[in-house]
Amino acid sequence: MTLKTLGPRLTAIGSGKGGTGKTFVTVALAQAFADMGERVLLCDADLGLANTAVQLGLASGGDLPGLLAGNIALADAVAHIGINSHASFDLLSAPAGTGALADADAETAEHLASLLKRASGYDRVLIDLGAGVGAAAMTLAAYADDTLVLATPDPASLTDAYAFAKLMLRRTGGRAPAIVVNMAAGAGEAKRTADALIRSAQTFLKIVPAYLGFVPSDVRVVEAVRRQTMLCALYPQSPAVAAIAALAGALGGQTDSPQIAPSLR
Amino acid sequence: MQLRTFLAKDMKTALTSVRAEMGPDAVIVGSERTKGGGVMVRAALEEPEAPSLAEEIGEPVNDFDADYHNTLIRRLREKPAAGRRRFDRSELLASFARHRLPDALGHALAEASAKTNLSDMTLALAAAIDARMTPAPIDFANAKAFLLVGPNGVGKTAVAAKLAAHAKLAGRNVTLIAGDVAGAGAVARLNAFAEHLDATIATADSAFELATLTGDAVAQGALAIIDTAGFDPRQPRIAAVYAALAKIESVDTVGVLSALTDAEEAAEMASALTRIGVSRLIVTAADLARRAGALAAAAMTPSIGLAYVTRSPFVAGGLETLTPLALSRLLADSEQESAQ
Repeated sequence: MTLKTLGPRLTAIGSGKGGTGKTFVTVALAQAFADMGERVLLCDADLGLANTAVQLGLASGGDLPGLLAGNIALADAVAHIGINSHASFDLLSAPAGTGALADADAETAEHLASLLKRASGYDRVLIDLGAGVGAAAMTLAAYADDTLVLATPDPASLTDAYAFAKLMLRRTGGRAPAIVVNMAAGAGEAKRTADALIRSAQTFLKIVPAYLGFVPSDVRVVEAVRRQTMLCALYPQSPAVAAIAALAGALGGQTDSPQIAPSLR
Repeated sequence: MQLRTFLAKDMKTALTSVRAEMGPDAVIVGSERTKGGGVMVRAALEEPEAPSLAEEIGEPVNDFDADYHNTLIRRLREKPAAGRRRFDRSELLASFARHRLPDALGHALAEASAKTNLSDMTLALAAAIDARMTPAPIDFANAKAFLLVGPNGVGKTAVAAKLAAHAKLAGRNVTLIAGDVAGAGAVARLNAFAEHLDATIATADSAFELATLTGDAVAQGALAIIDTAGFDPRQPRIAAVYAALAKIESVDTVGVLSALTDAEEAAEMASALTRIGVSRLIVTAADLARRAGALAAAAMTPSIGLAYVTRSPFVAGGLETLTPLALSRLLADSEQESAQ
């Protein structure tokens, strides 16, 4: 297999609706993949309102606008995130609270996607698509190797996730995002939420999205977000951490290339 | 996609509701038992494909003037959404009641509206109002002096400032005269307004002084605007004092009333004001009043003209005219009013 030489695997996470916990899930997944031994780049493609750096309590989250403008190399545009006793990963985002790149269009997104695909220093690039189903988000979703749609049991989130799936289907001519349910009270509720989405897609879009897994609703997640710390650093034993690790495993299992084991690096 | 959740005592009832409310195309995407022993059913329905935004907009519009023109024509041809109601006396009276219009005025208006034989209720009422309401806008270019009178707290000082601003725009010099020496803070407020408006300000302690100041201002070609202390025009003794002021040479007395007053009170005040020589009214707080009774009653007081209504306490908010048609819409289209 020569997949490795083609560059990193792009995993995009979207949701349509805001407030579904995209930033948290993406950051936690990045850490999980890093801990599994992958070289990970997290790209906050919420181009208007980047906030990953805020969630991680960082002063700077990299210089995405500079990279897009061609003023700076990727290696210099990223910020290194190293939480003690955890493997580090890199973050590429626009400065928080500036609204830089708020007007990013499909063309900018395509440019970004091509830059990320050539980021051969990484095994995996996680792309936080931000809220909405705008041209930039859907372009990146279509370019990614894996696209996840994050839904919560909130019905509004379901319809927005459905819209995300529908637009992605149209954009890619047949690919559907995989479903991840966040903030579920338990496995049962998560399954019911995913099933509602799958049945809708099956009936109206004639596709069957995969159900990848869920992250349980957990007050410790809220607390970690408030404290601007990684959940795995604050509460390594929390069920949400385990769920994220399972998700990362599921995503690794989807690739047909063998996972790069830490021992080989 | 439409997504709805139905709660029912059993599955059959829930499915009946789904069919009844969402139609035969709805798909059940989830169901579960609730704690109370009932069921919760979630159903989805895909709307027919809407034309994409690009198709809807069509060719990019290059000629904005033509586009604007076409939009205007289209709008003019459209039937107005409201105001197409057929005349119905009981409906009209019910609407008046909601606006707390004084009964006598309401019945007289309904009678007059019916006699117009117009089928459109708003137009019939507008015609009836037109016969009772005299618009009396101010000629700022030639006006000499205004004496503002009215009850406490209706916004006389703000009206003084608005009049001054309009006069300034008409190229007039303005002298603001505070006859409101007893009212705490009134002089200070007028001072603040005068400073912003670049107007002269003077205070008068007596009727004699007021007359002198006014005479001086008028002689210099300035518009004198006299702000006074609030009073109840229905009290004969106090009214007599103001009636004397109104007789000062070249003074035009303007009554100021608030739309927030009770309608009967407003009608009484307005007719009391006519007795002390008020020929024009300005009604304030039109934006704050949910019931148009006071505004309508004041506007239709015999032998008094409505100069303006104000919608904002801010000087920049300005003075607006009220047409019979606008007042008719306000009084007849009660749905709009209650929807707010």
